[in-house]
Amino acid sequence: MWFQERFLVPSFTLLPLALSLAGYANAQDAPNGRALFEENCAGCHGTGGAGDRGPSLQGQLRHGNQLPDIKNVIVNGLPGTGMPKFDFDDHDLQALIPYVQSLSQKSGSGTHPHGDPIAGRKIYDSGKCSGCHKIGSEGSSFGPNLTRVGAARSYDYLKTSILSPSADVPENFEGVTVVDGNGKRYSGIRVNEDTFTVQLRLPDQSFVSFDKQSIKSEVMEKQSVMPSYKFEAHDLQNLLSYLSSLVGPANSTAGITEEPRLR
Amino acid sequence: MKRILFFSTLLFICKIYGADVTFGKLIHAEQDPSEWLTYWGDYRATRFRNLKQINDTNVGKLRLEWMFQTDAPGMFETMPLVADGVMYFTTPDTSVDAVDARSGRLLWRYRYRIPKTAKYCCGTLNRGLAILGNRLYYLTPDTRLQAIDKRDGTLLWDTEVASSAGGAYGGTEAPLVVKDKVILGPAAGDDGIRGFIEAFDAKTGKRLWRFRTIPEPGEPGNETWGNNSWKHGGGSTWLTGTYDPESNTLYWGIGNPAPDLVGSVRPGDNLYTDCLVALDADTGKMKWYFQFTPHDTYDYDATETPMLLDLPWKGRMRKLVVQANRNGFFYVLDRETGQFLSAQAFVKTTWATGVDKNGRPIRTPGLEPTQKGTVICPQCSGATNWMAPSYSPLTHLFYFNVREGCDVFFSKPPVYKEGASYWATSARAEANEHQTGRVTALDPLTGKARWKFPLYSSPWAGTLATSGNLVFAGDEDGYLMALRADTGTLLWRVNTGSHLVTSPITYELDGKQYVTMPSGSAVLTFALPAE
Repeated sequence: MWFQERFLVPSFTLLPLALSLAGYANAQDAPNGRALFEENCAGCHGTGGAGDRGPSLQGQLRHGNQLPDIKNVIVNGLPGTGMPKFDFDDHDLQALIPYVQSLSQKSGSGTHPHGDPIAGRKIYDSGKCSGCHKIGSEGSSFGPNLTRVGAARSYDYLKTSILSPSADVPENFEGVTVVDGNGKRYSGIRVNEDTFTVQLRLPDQSFVSFDKQSIKSEVMEKQSVMPSYKFEAHDLQNLLSYLSSLVGPANSTAGITEEPRLR
Repeated sequence: MKRILFFSTLLFICKIYGADVTFGKLIHAEQDPSEWLTYWGDYRATRFRNLKQINDTNVGKLRLEWMFQTDAPGMFETMPLVADGVMYFTTPDTSVDAVDARSGRLLWRYRYRIPKTAKYCCGTLNRGLAILGNRLYYLTPDTRLQAIDKRDGTLLWDTEVASSAGGAYGGTEAPLVVKDKVILGPAAGDDGIRGFIEAFDAKTGKRLWRFRTIPEPGEPGNETWGNNSWKHGGGSTWLTGTYDPESNTLYWGIGNPAPDLVGSVRPGDNLYTDCLVALDADTGKMKWYFQFTPHDTYDYDATETPMLLDLPWKGRMRKLVVQANRNGFFYVLDRETGQFLSAQAFVKTTWATGVDKNGRPIRTPGLEPTQKGTVICPQCSGATNWMAPSYSPLTHLFYFNVREGCDVFFSKPPVYKEGASYWATSARAEANEHQTGRVTALDPLTGKARWKFPLYSSPWAGTLATSGNLVFAGDEDGYLMALRADTGTLLWRVNTGSHLVTSPITYELDGKQYVTMPSGSAVLTFALPAE
C-alpha cells in the first residue's frame, strides 16, 4: 500500500509528483543514466533529450553544461518553467548527470532558432498576442504566461503551439463553455472544478463561478481556446526567435506553473 | 449544604471526565451514541449510529459548531475517539490531543517527538488511537506502542514494536483493544519487511503473541514464495482489523507483496499477502485465510475494512465478512469458515475478467506492468482504499467511496537494501485522463449498486451512516456532504477547504448530535443550530 503514502508529498502538482516519485522508485536499481533519463525526463524533454513539451537538451544548455550546473537544475528545479525538483539519491545522480551532459554535446536544433527576435517582437505586438498572454507585467492573464516560455518549451513545441494550438492543451488551460440557468453563455479557461462547482477565467481576466446544480450545461472544448495562426515563413521564424529568447529572471516565480488543479 | 453542592459538582465533573472504558463497553460500542470508542466506531466496522436528531428533513441547516486547529503540517488521516465527553486524536505532527467534545477546547496535549536518530517508513502519517480503562494506546510513526493516561496525557509506558534502526517499519494504524490486549501491525510492506500482527499486554506493554504474515520455511504457505523471496515479502497491515466477540476472532486485511509490481522475483501465490486472515484473539493462531489477489503485481492490498455482517444469505442467516477490495471487487465470505460466497466488480477491472467458483481471480493473460508501461484498471492506489465504508441496518445498504480510473503501471526489478523502499513501481494516470469517483450504495446480498452519487475526483475519504436516513461522505476536493441514505439525494454540503483523507464520525452529548470530520490540519465539528 505504499502508493497511498506517496500522496503525503505536500505538493499535489501531479506531473512533477509522478516524475519525482518515479525517480524515487528507481533509487535502488543499478543506475543507468540513459534508463533513468528515459523514465523520468523523456516525458518532457523527449527521447534522447530531443525536446518535446520541455526544451531540447541537445546542444548548449541554457542553465549551463557543467556537471554542477546540471545537478543544480535537477535537484532544485526551475521556477516558472514547469521543471520540478527531483528527489534522486546520489547514486542515481552520479549516473544521470553525465548522461545529460553527454546529450548536450550532441548537436541539436532546439535551443537556437535562426531569426530576428526584435522583428519577432513586432509580430507579437501586431498579432495582439498580449490580449491573452503576459510577458513580465505586460499583457493579459487569460492565456499561459510567456515570461519564461523560452526556457520552458522547445522550439518545435512553440512552433506547434502557434500553428496547431490544439495539439497539446495544458490541463490548467482547458477551455469550457457554461450555460447558466438563464441561458447565458460563458466561455473561458477552466481554472478549477469539483463535484459541485466550476470556476472560469474569462477573456476579460475576471473570474466567474457556477454551482453545477444551477447551470444548464458545461461543455469542455475539444479544441484549444487559442486560434491557429498563419504566418509567412520568415515572420514565424522571427516570432519563434523572440519567444525562445524569453527566459525571464531565473529566480522568477512568474511563468509556467504545473499546478493542474488548485484545491 | 455548600459542601454537598461542592461534592456533587465534583462527582458531576468526575462523571464527565473520569469514567473508564471497559471491554464490555467496546463490545457494545455501537449501542452508545455518546461515544466513538474504536477506529471503526464498533468492532464490526459498520460505522452506523442510531442518531437521528440530524436527519433528512433538517440536515440542510447543519452548521459549524466548533473547529480545532492543530497547526500541524501533514496528512490528517486520524479517526478521533470520543469517550465521556472528550475527543482524542493523533495530530499530523505526532502529538496526541484531548479536546472537549462539546466546545473543541484543548484539555491536554501529549507531544511525542520522534528521535532524530530514528528511521521509519512513512512520514508522520497516523490514523488514531485505541482506548481501554483510562489509557489511550498510540502506535507511533516510528513503530513504538505507547500507553498514555487519558486524564492528563502523561506517558505510562513505551514499547518498541519494530526496530527503527534499519528504517523500514512504520506505524500508521490505530491499535485494536480486545479484552486486555492491544493488537496491531506495522506498515511498510513496500520496504521489504516481513509483516506481522502482534498482541501486547494492555497493562504492561509486554508482547504476548505474534502472527507472521509471511510464513517461514517449515510453516504452511512458505512454499508459495519461490527463490527465498519470503525474506522480504512485505505483507504489512496498514489498517486496523475487526473483531467478532462471539467467536473471539480477529479479521485483519494483509497488504501487498514486495516488490509490488514485479512478480518474477517471487514466484508463487505469496501467502498471506492480499489476504484476509481470521485469527484467534487470545493466541494469534490462524483459523482461516482467503486470498483476493494471488501473486499480486498491481499493489492491490487487501487491507480495506473487513466489515462483519449477519445477513440472510440465500435464505439462511449467516455470519458474513464483506470487503470492498482495492482490486475492484466486492467480496462476501462466510466469516466462520472463510468460505467464498461471491465477488462482484464495482469499477472497471481489466486485470481480471471475474472470479472462479472459489473466488480466485481469472487473470487477463499478459496484462502485467512493464518497463514501457501498461494500462491496467483499477488504478494502482485502488478502486477503494483506507477510507471507511459504512452499513445501515435500516436500508440494508453498504456505503463506500469508489475510485474509478486506470493507471499506466511501470515496473523494473529493484535490488533489496535494508531500510530503503523495495518497490518496483511507478504508476501514473494516463495522460489527459481525469480519475473520477463516486459514493456507491451497494446491496451486499447481490453486489449490485442501489444508487451512485458521482464525485469529480477519486476520493480518499470514507462514509458514515445514521438512522436519520443519512450518509455522510467526504470527497477529494474538500467537501463533506450528507446524502439521503435510501436514494443518494444530496441534502447538504460544505467545502472544508482541504482534501479529505479520513472518515466522518458522529456522537451525541446532552441531547445534541455532532458530526466530526478532520480536514487539513483542523478538526471540524458540525451540529444543528439551537432552536
